[in-house]
Amino acid sequence: MSEHSPVLLMLAPLFAAVGCALLGLRWKSVAYPITIAGLIAALYFCLQTLVQVVDSPTHAISYFLGGWNATDFPRGIGIEYRVDMLNAIVLVVIAFVALLAALFSKRFVPKETPDREPQYYTLFLLLATGLMGMTITADAFNLYVLIEVASLTGYALIAMGSRRAAVAAFQYVIMGTIGASFYLLGVGYLYIKTGSLNMIGIHDVLLENGLHGSPSVFVAFILIFAGLWIKLAFFPLSAWLPNAYSRAPTATGCIVAPLVTKVSVYVMLRMMLTVFGPEYVYGELAWSGPMVWIAIVAILAGSVMALGQSDLRRMLTYLIIAEVGYMVGGAWLLTPGGLARGESLYAIAPGLLGTSYHIVSDAAMTLCLFLAAAAMINKTGSGRLEDMKGLFRRSPVTMACFIVGALAMIGVPPTCGFFSKWYLVSGAFEAGRWEFAIALLVSSLINAVLFFRVIEYAYFGKFPEIDSTHDHSEEHHQEETVKVDENPPSILLPLILSATAVIAVGLFNKDIAGFLELFLNSVSMGGGE
Amino acid sequence: MMKKLAGIVVFMVGLLLFYGVSNVDDFPGWGDPDSPANASPLSQYFITDTIKDSEVPNMVTAVLADYRGYDTMFETVVIFIAGIAIFAVVRVSRNNSPVCGGNKDDEPDLIITTTCRLLVPVIQIFALYVLAHGHSSPGGGFQGGVIMGASFILVAVAWDLDTALGRFSEKAAIACAGLGIIIYAGFGLASMFYGEEFLNYGITHKLLPGVESPEMARYYGMLGVEVGVMFTVTSVMFLIYGLLSTRGRMSGGL
Repeated sequence: MSEHSPVLLMLAPLFAAVGCALLGLRWKSVAYPITIAGLIAALYFCLQTLVQVVDSPTHAISYFLGGWNATDFPRGIGIEYRVDMLNAIVLVVIAFVALLAALFSKRFVPKETPDREPQYYTLFLLLATGLMGMTITADAFNLYVLIEVASLTGYALIAMGSRRAAVAAFQYVIMGTIGASFYLLGVGYLYIKTGSLNMIGIHDVLLENGLHGSPSVFVAFILIFAGLWIKLAFFPLSAWLPNAYSRAPTATGCIVAPLVTKVSVYVMLRMMLTVFGPEYVYGELAWSGPMVWIAIVAILAGSVMALGQSDLRRMLTYLIIAEVGYMVGGAWLLTPGGLARGESLYAIAPGLLGTSYHIVSDAAMTLCLFLAAAAMINKTGSGRLEDMKGLFRRSPVTMACFIVGALAMIGVPPTCGFFSKWYLVSGAFEAGRWEFAIALLVSSLINAVLFFRVIEYAYFGKFPEIDSTHDHSEEHHQEETVKVDENPPSILLPLILSATAVIAVGLFNKDIAGFLELFLNSVSMGGGE
Repeated sequence: MMKKLAGIVVFMVGLLLFYGVSNVDDFPGWGDPDSPANASPLSQYFITDTIKDSEVPNMVTAVLADYRGYDTMFETVVIFIAGIAIFAVVRVSRNNSPVCGGNKDDEPDLIITTTCRLLVPVIQIFALYVLAHGHSSPGGGFQGGVIMGASFILVAVAWDLDTALGRFSEKAAIACAGLGIIIYAGFGLASMFYGEEFLNYGITHKLLPGVESPEMARYYGMLGVEVGVMFTVTSVMFLIYGLLSTRGRMSGGL
């Protein structure tokens, strides 16, 4: 059975979703256990796939759906799943984050979407299915279908919140649909020029037929990347994100914020390295100069806009935009003249390790922060920073986890945030792009200001400038009587697990980076497989 | 300001698309038999080998439901998501919302209902024909499902939604939508049960009675998954109509 794990990891949440929808018609309470069971099964199959990839001699395994394999038939007749070290790790991240978000949702879903839990969990599971499918597929059109699955479920999960959430979801629908259409149009151009939809097939035809100078391929590249940049909220195209993510129901925010943009970044890497190939992206186009500058603008704009927010969740959504800037900028770092010297991919694009490691670490820390923010709001009843007063005394465990996430975002060792910044900054220096390194450091400083502001409210309880003396004495009186009023275990357990993950991803950074290096070394550099 | 900006962006996208196709040497002509998409080994394989692989004369159906059947399964899931999403977002409970549209005192028009009585069975049989004939002519589960869904919508338009719901209730629609995906994925699981890859229908000749060869098993496997697609599409079409036409109340209606 184990050779089927690449498809079983998709089927487990898919069948769980249909089961939720059908059984939920009769018994509403079965939706939650089915969801957890489906996601545990998915995580199991993801880990099994990872083990298989590590054990295989080439560190890549293929699974041909429908049996249309590449030995008896031309490659690309059917749909291929191809798992290498990069997407094996991303798959485990998706399954893990989705499972924790599902565990966390137990209290929030019946409260925020009453009577519609089965539908909510159906869409939740299908979102996880879609994201895993986007990650595992080696077919450019299958990728589009699963982008659709992941986007539609995302829109609905956001719209199920308040009326304001529905408006934000509508903006997201428009932007997301434009992005997906651009992507599809780009794939159409590629198909016209190559006659294949298989990612490796496209890459090989581009090389064999010498299509790197072709205007059609250039248009395809622009369309595909414009679409993806909308999807991953790369700065000028990110206007939809803050409203959609901050107004979404709590449980939705906890799955879409850590995963959707990160999986889109993964798709961008896949398009750069496997479909178009480094020899096209870094050789023919070599857009490193402007791309890194746009990324710097994205990082600074996201960070500065986060400073202006008075709502905790909204502040975190702007940080996502800054983090996307880290990853896109890292992917386009290029050493001068590297490709001409025929060096390894790692020497040409030194930021790639940082970008791919940051996919993992950003998923972990965004999850931790969103769970912590939701747990804090559960205690205070409001997301405004001023209302966080005295939270340290009331909910020490929740706040401890929040601080772990905050330290990771700032980049303090031994959390994962430190190591991803370390890889990115050293990549920037190797590429001679000191301005990118400065932007990363400035963003770290702004993050420090942001999170210490929250911690100040929560730890010191009040702002002396705002409180009058009368209020002051009253507050003081209240604080003395405040008892520890911690969140229930169903909230704390996933929160503590996510904080542990933040530290674990940091502590095991050598191993994860080693795995990712195996992937980067396996990327073909002009010579085919 | 924003309108001008939007105009500039649209103009630039248009320019880009024009640039893509304007280069005559680079962009293949319309229907060019030597274009990469037509001359690639894949297209050649589909043209010459589809009939050998699955006995299906319509190679579009074979590509859709067999070679790339996994895509089609997720397209069906997309339809299912659309139904569930609209249900989840707009459905309100009957009690706490104001009545809109649909006056109960109006008798349905005699001419319209009589015509519909005659039409609906014909539409439904035609839908089944489109489904079953997808192998040899244009058609299949999606098209058949839309036609079948239209027959229920016609009942809802001619009488009212409650009459249509009496034939095909809301819960039945959701259940059938899910059932369609189970049918589709079930064919895939059946092939895994015999140790082959997911959706490798060929092996199901061991399972299906009266099917001798893997080729015919592929033929009937395609029909089977198309039936699943039809279940989902029919139910979701009707569900979406009911939800949107009554603003989520699923009662009364236009």
